[in-house]
Amino acid sequence: MLQNEQEFIRILRERLEGTLAREELDDIVSDYSEHFRMGKESGRTDEELCKSLGSPEDIARELKALHLVKKAENVKSCGNIFHAVIATLGLGLFNLVFVLVPFLLLFVMLFVIFIVGVLFAVFGPVGFVFSLLQLAGQPAFAIWLNPAAGAFFAIGITTMGLLLIIGDYYLARFFYRIGIRYLKWNISVITGTEEI
Amino acid sequence: MRSKEPGDDKFACLVCRMNLSGLTVTKIILWLLAITIVSFVIGGGILAMSGDLPGGHGKTASPFVEGGSPGNTSSFPLEGATSGTVSITMEAGELTVRGGAPEDTLMEATVFGRNAEWQPVITESVNGSQKIITMTDKGHTAKEWVAVHSPNTWDVQLSNQVPLDLTVHTGAGDTSLDLSHLNLASLVVENGAGDTEITFGSAPVPGPVEISLGIGDLTLQVPKTSNTRIIIHSGVGDVSSSGFAEQGGFFTTPGYDLDRPVTEIRMKQGVGSASLEAV
Repeated sequence: MLQNEQEFIRILRERLEGTLAREELDDIVSDYSEHFRMGKESGRTDEELCKSLGSPEDIARELKALHLVKKAENVKSCGNIFHAVIATLGLGLFNLVFVLVPFLLLFVMLFVIFIVGVLFAVFGPVGFVFSLLQLAGQPAFAIWLNPAAGAFFAIGITTMGLLLIIGDYYLARFFYRIGIRYLKWNISVITGTEEI
Repeated sequence: MRSKEPGDDKFACLVCRMNLSGLTVTKIILWLLAITIVSFVIGGGILAMSGDLPGGHGKTASPFVEGGSPGNTSSFPLEGATSGTVSITMEAGELTVRGGAPEDTLMEATVFGRNAEWQPVITESVNGSQKIITMTDKGHTAKEWVAVHSPNTWDVQLSNQVPLDLTVHTGAGDTSLDLSHLNLASLVVENGAGDTEITFGSAPVPGPVEISLGIGDLTLQVPKTSNTRIIIHSGVGDVSSSGFAEQGGFFTTPGYDLDRPVTEIRMKQGVGSASLEAV
């Protein structure tokens, strides 16, 4: 168990360096230093204050998760949401079930839709060319029961692929927003604070 | 009346841009959706009219040719026969006949397209020492204007081993007969419409060789050493020859000698040019 302020601040700073910006880190450290100063003024010892605050590692994990979720909210990218999810996993083992599993399922679903869309969008034009070659009497390209119908089916498959890709994009955006809200709620439940 | 506030233009422009942006994406999605639906409806309609609509009569619900690969090969062994008779009748499509069937096989035929409707009826029987095969196009039940250029293409390989009587009837389409490696006993070719290419080998054909053409061009090649005579009943179109000697309407290969076994080709020209080449 930590006995003094310097050690507490040192560990907190070490754990948050590289994740938080210098100014943000300084603000946080300053807040905790202030907390220690006020505590000492009221007659409490370093040991008591350290005990009341809890482990600096846990605090760093919470702050890190919070920071990364906010970052993912502000700058939407796969990398940011991934880092936010990983940081949230560190808050508790049960988040493997409550965060990682839904996240992976959603990711796989969106990825499959995207791949199917791309395959359709690629196969469509290829199928269209094949239908033209079939119409021209090239038996090696006879993949359609009827080449004239095949040409239209190929167009339909292409546009369906494009629709899937576009739909996947909007679906990803929707789940991104939901995911951020869920991660915030998850952090607030774990840390026992109000929803951020 | 509210006066125009500074920044209104900027705000309006922003809203305008947002609306336009949203509208464009919506429009794109609606267009793609419409194209998808219309394409599938038209495609399905064409399949329905052509009689290829999947899902009925044991057909799978797919607009694709069953099995994915278009080639469907069948082999017909000699079964001990020492000669063969092969009769091929194709209503429409492209036909290739050549030698090179596997050993002890009279015919190996590949039909491109696994749709049941495109499969020919093939019968085989043995009459004494002779194996008889007929390969006949069932004919399309589809409406021609939507089924045009269906990949009805046959690639037939025949035995080089045994004497062969070959009959080829084609309705419409191109025909290519490479008979250079076959042991031909006789040949009958009738082509309704389409181009025909026939290549003979140097071995003489003892039986009758009759070629009857409708509309389309003919290219006929024989080896210079084959001791061949061609008798033409001219139709509408030019007859050109290369490497032949023309004698009284007959075309003969150099050194044509009746004392040796000969190949005599009787040709009835239709509408189209005939190119005779002794190579």
